[in-house]
Amino acid sequence: MKGDRKYIWMFLLPAAVIMAIFLYYPFFKSLYLSFYRTTGFFDKRFVGWNNYERLFSDELLGAATLNTLEVMLYVLVFQVGIALVLAVLVDSIRKGKDFYRTVFFFPVVISGTAISLLFVLFYNYNFGLLNNLLAQFNIEKVLWLDQGNALKAISIPTVWHYVGFYFILFLTAMSKIPSDYYEAAKLEGISGLKKTTMLTIPLIMSDIKVVITLAITGTLKVFEFVWVITRGQNGTEVLGTYMYKKAMVDQNFGYGSAVAIYMVIFGVVLALVANRLLKRDEITY
Amino acid sequence: MLKRSSMILMSVMLLFATFLAACGGGGTSSSGDGGDTGTETPPVAEENAPPVKLRVFSTFGGTDAAREAFQSALDEFTASHPNVTIENDTMSANDDGFRTKVNTDMNSGNEPDLLFYFIGADAEGFVNAGKVVPLNDLLEEDAEWKGGFIPDALELARQEDGNIYAVPLTGFYEGLFVNKKIFEDHGLELPTDWDKLTTAVKTLSENGIIPLSVPFDQSHYLIEHAVLSAAGPEGQNKGLKDEVDPNWEKGYAAIKELYDLGAFPKDAATIDLSMAGNYYSEGLAAMILEGSWAIGGWNEDVRDQTTVVPFPAVPGGVGSGNDIVGGFGTGFYLSKATYDDAAKKDTAIALMKHLTSPASIQKIATANGGTPAADVEVTGLPQVALDGFSMAAKAASISSPIDSKVAQETFGNLRASVYAVIQGEKTPTEAIADAKKVEDDNRP
Repeated sequence: MKGDRKYIWMFLLPAAVIMAIFLYYPFFKSLYLSFYRTTGFFDKRFVGWNNYERLFSDELLGAATLNTLEVMLYVLVFQVGIALVLAVLVDSIRKGKDFYRTVFFFPVVISGTAISLLFVLFYNYNFGLLNNLLAQFNIEKVLWLDQGNALKAISIPTVWHYVGFYFILFLTAMSKIPSDYYEAAKLEGISGLKKTTMLTIPLIMSDIKVVITLAITGTLKVFEFVWVITRGQNGTEVLGTYMYKKAMVDQNFGYGSAVAIYMVIFGVVLALVANRLLKRDEITY
Repeated sequence: MLKRSSMILMSVMLLFATFLAACGGGGTSSSGDGGDTGTETPPVAEENAPPVKLRVFSTFGGTDAAREAFQSALDEFTASHPNVTIENDTMSANDDGFRTKVNTDMNSGNEPDLLFYFIGADAEGFVNAGKVVPLNDLLEEDAEWKGGFIPDALELARQEDGNIYAVPLTGFYEGLFVNKKIFEDHGLELPTDWDKLTTAVKTLSENGIIPLSVPFDQSHYLIEHAVLSAAGPEGQNKGLKDEVDPNWEKGYAAIKELYDLGAFPKDAATIDLSMAGNYYSEGLAAMILEGSWAIGGWNEDVRDQTTVVPFPAVPGGVGSGNDIVGGFGTGFYLSKATYDDAAKKDTAIALMKHLTSPASIQKIATANGGTPAADVEVTGLPQVALDGFSMAAKAASISSPIDSKVAQETFGNLRASVYAVIQGEKTPTEAIADAKKVEDDNRP
């Protein structure tokens, strides 16, 4: 064991260096900047807790938080839900598993910005695909991105983009379940829906927990869909775009950093709550 | 201060007037020699010169009308200096990411050798931090180079400290671009005053045509024109530093009035500038607020039907209805790091001189329809560009855009208020008061 230590360090080092440069350094730099009032890149002064006080009176930030939570709800229900359903379906077929695995995973590979641009062309009021289809049937054009629909319209590509990733996680988890459980179930005459809800899902519960944590933290990072499709207008501002606007567009890096710290804390709290709610005994096969 | 700005105004107008005359003269008789001849021959590079790599950052990329003209100017330089490789680094000026990119580069020791960027408040940060060199001496040393510029164009490029840090290529103007054909088809008069504008808006929106194509988020031009025509050039120039000019809010009230009449695209809240430009270019919209650079990007038939007028004075405002936004807002900066690097210095300066030579300026101006900073004849411009020069020459005042007069964050707040005001969530008075609060926070 002692001789291994050298190798442990050696193998950990590259990852540790990369994490330190691209994760910890920016994080602590944000923490540092959040105590400053900045104007542009060349001027900053210490303001203490000022930026954090502002967080609590910022109505736009409150709205962005609620919008993020709404997207999170859609993601949890539909992204995780659809991924689970697809995984169950694909797991129970005999032929063509690889084909479906590739097809469902494919959207994950496409960049979010490209997908967003695609959906801009779907939703556009004057040129959009959807309204052109409606026009074919002589139906009045619909404003897909109005105040009431915009956030839902953005959630669709958001959900679709990452379904495949969670699908793969679920599928892998299901393939790990030993086949004797299913054989026993078969002998007991349990099949179909009952088999899924009483056997498969409880057995992959720890993976579902991981996926839910990933989905929650992932939703906090939603940015490109909102930025490209609606630019945060019509009640679609989320935390990611709000932070960007404050830091990059307004060039107020101090307040932008404070929003970033708020996002981190908010995400950690949510993930902890979710883990507490889903607490169960670990299953070992 | 006032004296200086009125001097500037006079010189800008003189400048535009010169161009109008020049263009008028050359418009019909096409100059046979293509304009490229008769310029200084670039110095022949010495044999075996050590290789030099230069990075030029500019906005001449993507859909910019002058992209190819700029690339060809760079190619000319590398053809005569085979030892030089140029990295043509570009980013669209339509998005705010461009400002961030430039400031990050300038602040983190990743300066491009030559930077094409805004002059004025936008550049204050890196200019005051000494990241770029004053060009006064270089200009004095090279009479031929300096003589290539129209003196007023160089004057307008001065920073507040009196130094010239950037050498200009072309100037710009902004205005209300109008599709004449759509107006004629509906029996409308050009929107030269508020009543004609509102009449046109009502008629067009009843007929299913987008009257005025603007986005609410990237509402720079809408805010610029509304506030300028409400507060007049002096009121606009004050920014929000001291007390709030009571006329500013009339600009926002005017935006709301236009919205209530159905002036904007139905999806104005979620489109961006390029989509708004698209609507106009496709003939779906009758008017658009844009700058001279946009002309080159429109469909040819729409461009040929377009003219440009100043944004009319809003009701109760103190603007004359003949005030426009414009100037020489951009130029080439030479970074301090390059200037101090003996291996690069001379080549970078030679490249800067080449890019701002009358021949290059002519090329760029021909492509983007801007006012050239050199005394060259620009031929083959569409009628709307000539209309633009004429508008600028006759303007009662020319002001630089409002976002150069307030802090970045204040302008962000003003942008965010546009939608709140038209939705009635905020009154115009509250919108300006909000912006004032942000402006105060941005001052020590």
